[in-house]
Amino acid sequence: MDRMKPTNREQEPTDAEIETIIAGAIAAEASAACREAQPPSSAVVWWRAQMRARQEAARAVERPLTIVHALAIACCIGLFVSTVGVAVAGMKGSFGWLGGIYTALATGAAVDLTGRWIMVPMTAMIISIVIASIAALVIFADE
Amino acid sequence: MADATFLDVRRIAADTDAETADVALAMTEDEFRAFYDRTSGALWGYLSRISGDRQVADDLLQESYYRLLKSAVAFESENHRRNYLYRIATNLVRDSRRSAKPLFAQGIEVAEIAGPEGHASPEARQDVRRALGRLKPRERALLWLAYANGSSHAEIADVLGLKTGSIKLLLFRARRKMATALQRG
Repeated sequence: MDRMKPTNREQEPTDAEIETIIAGAIAAEASAACREAQPPSSAVVWWRAQMRARQEAARAVERPLTIVHALAIACCIGLFVSTVGVAVAGMKGSFGWLGGIYTALATGAAVDLTGRWIMVPMTAMIISIVIASIAALVIFADE
Repeated sequence: MADATFLDVRRIAADTDAETADVALAMTEDEFRAFYDRTSGALWGYLSRISGDRQVADDLLQESYYRLLKSAVAFESENHRRNYLYRIATNLVRDSRRSAKPLFAQGIEVAEIAGPEGHASPEARQDVRRALGRLKPRERALLWLAYANGSSHAEIADVLGLKTGSIKLLLFRARRKMATALQRG
């Protein structure tokens, strides 16, 4: 850009001259860039766009199912833990609580469900059953 | 299919839908291909000079067209569509700048083949590129849109997300800055 290097430093180029020079330089650079450009063919870009859009659509459909799966698995784990809890509680109490329930049922008396070893796992089991039911409803319901 | 669970069936159905259904793209294939053939070379030039990196330009070119195809904008004209494409491209360059790659770090190699009709020499073009590299990306974009694309102030403002009234002054400053950079050589 020798034109931009004035021999006489006192003679500054005018705005119009600068604009002409810059515009010419950029236009030349743009035409050089166009010659250098080797973009992929339109068919390739279209095909890639189609494939990507389809993959995104498929992912969008699968995402809610994944969430429901996670919820269902969590509920199953909850059910399993609460069942184990009940079993352990039963063993710890030497099946005394079961005997108590049996006795109460046999005599028509109220069952005492306030015991520590019964309340916690039973509550967890009930909550898990409710959540699992909702999850199953969501899974099998038509969209 | 007898062993397939309900969820398997749902998944297969979703995949099949995705493969066969018309994905929501803003243009038909013929429209797109014609538009792409008209604009891709110029857009690549814009991306490569604004980002300062050919590889980035290659990547962002396809991303720009994809985002254009996925857009839900009702374009009033070819110019409107083109300006929107450049707006997407500008935003993508802006986003890519957050990565560690320094702009114009290696410079862009000057093509060895000289222009057919007495274009500037490789040295002069190297000067231009060096000068462009000294500008801010927005200044490069301003100058490119104005003098390479011949965009109006309103179009430049639309592409760069600026006020139309400020373009004249910003262009003046960018020209001055580039002139100073060219003088330094």
